[in-house]
Amino acid sequence: MMKKLSGARIVIEALIQENVKVIFGYPGGAVLPIYDELFKQNKIRHILVRHEQAAVHAAEGYARSTGKVGVVLVTSGPGATNTVTGLTDAMMDSVPVVCISGQVPTHMIGNDAFQEADIVGITRPCTKHNYLVKEISKLAESIHSAFHIAKNGRPGPVLVDIPKDIQTFETKYGGKKHTKSVTFYKPNTKPSLDTIVKFVSLLEKSKKPIFYVGGGVINSGSRASLYLKKLLKITGYPCTQTLMGLGATPTSDDQFIGMLGMHGTYEANLSMNKSDLMICIGARFDDRITGKVSGFSPKSKKVHLDIDASSFNKSVNVDLLIQGDLSKILEMTLKHIENKRISFSKEKISAWWNQINKWRAKNCLNYKNSRSIIKPQYALQRLDSLTKHLDPFITTEVGQHQMWAAQFLTFNKPKHWMTSGGLGTMGYGLPAAMGVQIAHPNDLVIDVAGEASILMNIQEMSTIKQYRLPVKIFILNNHYMGMVRQWQELLHGNRLSESYMDSLPDFVKLAESFGATGLRVSKPGEMDDLIKEMIKIKGPVICDVVVDPKENCFPMIPSGSTHDQMLLGPNDKLEGEISEEGMVLV
Amino acid sequence: MTESHSKHILSIMVDNEPGVLARIVGLFSGRGYNIESLSVSEVDSDKFLSRVTIVTSGTKNIVDQIKAQVRKLIPVHNLIDITELKSFLGKELILMKLDIKQKTVLNIYKYIKNIGAKILFEDKTVIIIEFSGTPTEISSLIKKMKVYNIVELTRSGLVSMALGKDYIRR
Repeated sequence: MMKKLSGARIVIEALIQENVKVIFGYPGGAVLPIYDELFKQNKIRHILVRHEQAAVHAAEGYARSTGKVGVVLVTSGPGATNTVTGLTDAMMDSVPVVCISGQVPTHMIGNDAFQEADIVGITRPCTKHNYLVKEISKLAESIHSAFHIAKNGRPGPVLVDIPKDIQTFETKYGGKKHTKSVTFYKPNTKPSLDTIVKFVSLLEKSKKPIFYVGGGVINSGSRASLYLKKLLKITGYPCTQTLMGLGATPTSDDQFIGMLGMHGTYEANLSMNKSDLMICIGARFDDRITGKVSGFSPKSKKVHLDIDASSFNKSVNVDLLIQGDLSKILEMTLKHIENKRISFSKEKISAWWNQINKWRAKNCLNYKNSRSIIKPQYALQRLDSLTKHLDPFITTEVGQHQMWAAQFLTFNKPKHWMTSGGLGTMGYGLPAAMGVQIAHPNDLVIDVAGEASILMNIQEMSTIKQYRLPVKIFILNNHYMGMVRQWQELLHGNRLSESYMDSLPDFVKLAESFGATGLRVSKPGEMDDLIKEMIKIKGPVICDVVVDPKENCFPMIPSGSTHDQMLLGPNDKLEGEISEEGMVLV
Repeated sequence: MTESHSKHILSIMVDNEPGVLARIVGLFSGRGYNIESLSVSEVDSDKFLSRVTIVTSGTKNIVDQIKAQVRKLIPVHNLIDITELKSFLGKELILMKLDIKQKTVLNIYKYIKNIGAKILFEDKTVIIIEFSGTPTEISSLIKKMKVYNIVELTRSGLVSMALGKDYIRR
């Protein structure tokens, strides 16, 4: 006879069956039974964070660097509401996360009980799906369904809210195999052959093609990256990547022409603008990419490959859409090319490459270096040169440093770049780096940060200390919320309203107080030594890199402008005023 | 952009579980879509399925986006755009309470009889009538009755079905 188990025990057993090795969480009254069961076993490791938002970001870092589902465990009320930013972040960036929250007992729900929050109501729009488990008989089914939904189709976060009485009730649990879950949720993963044929014929005809690659390729898995690499090689076509897509194929490749979008390269954005065929793979025509939609790549035929039907024709209309798992689409495309012995002449696109190389020659990421003050771009170039051979995992916070990191670092492998793209969450990088380091204990993990963002989840230094995580925090300290200041300079008459970072902590002492090493540098000549020392130190390090407070991030496409209206540097003036339409854009 | 807006009737088969309507309605309000009419009720008590009918309007792109977004919701089994089928019918039910203390009351009875509405209740002061018809027929009934004294009314929202052999599958 099958033994009856408590709800709390079933939670743990179900997680074990889902092959969960690590969960990130914070205990509280409404999840005590689950924490009690956690105490009695040793298959799942619990990482105690210092704020529930950080638990979700850590789970995101874990998920994005491994391809597995990240798991979070929090209590009811404030524990659950603190996860909202993290869940929204995971939703926007399609990260598979399962968040288990405690809830007040079923008979108290709706009573404004202590630490009660309607978290299922609150998170409905920021999760892919969520469950409130009101009967013990539905518990196992809800958890297994949550994992199924989180990782299938376009990945995303799923929350399971479990009232405390459900955690103590008992029922039989026959394991995952004997639990019915949402079997009908099967997103269309296989494309039709005739769309592939059409796609290849467009590829053949194009004289000015461009591959526009997004994070979907990374989500689809390493086979998708492999196939895309092959397709790039066969065609010889240029490739640009979105912020989320960096590393989908190696960015050191000669066919890679840089990131595109608001702070993308001149050559990438102009290639998008002037192309005759755009092949969008696992990206979503985000407003940071398109700029002014009406002027977006006006002359190109557009092909869109994606698993998510709601991404098609959302902001930009495309000529051919292919729904399916990207690795399947790319595999079928390669097969078709092979079967039909289609070859792509390099001559046909030589004029296009000549043009692109002329744009490249502008050297748009160039900046005026200094001997006396560290330029943030220089700091990152040195970081890249001295760490590239180690294939580091890079996370970032949000702002100028994030854009510079995207522009100046090399990403030769997928799943090595974790940044908050869609939501733009300051405070993402440090907890995400913890999650990455837990998954890859022996690898170099660097959080490229700004001095403002890092303070948003600085309490996680305590977690880093507890688990001896050798995370390296590389702060580009310019004493400003740099991106805010840049916009104020450009759009608000240089009135720097509240963007100066006053009363900063001494980051070296801060590191020391958490048992980490603090290093500071302010001279360009000392940069290399600092980075070498940082790598050598076995434990966590905070590098306080004091950089030029005035530097701005270029190229930049101002809001409401098109790809060919790019500002290349501080001396490039805006043509006329930014339109009213542009002023209201974020 | 001056693309034309058109009206669409969406028929959606969903799991009858708590929160399912909130998911659909929340999606519409969160993304700024229109709901002109909404009706929902369980249609299969063995499989716990409800059928939701939403009348919405927008450009082709917006309506396509609405459909793609609704289809992504986990408890949604199926969605059909009834307006895209060859032929369909749409009906609505109205209950209307009328003050009959006036002298003109005879005309009301005559009209009710003419259009085939039913009298569900009557006493010395009020009558309640029931009528089902297309939204246009219902609107014209309301307009007609405005000259009398409408005490209150309630409408069910549109329900709709394809003609012929087309039907919404599970």
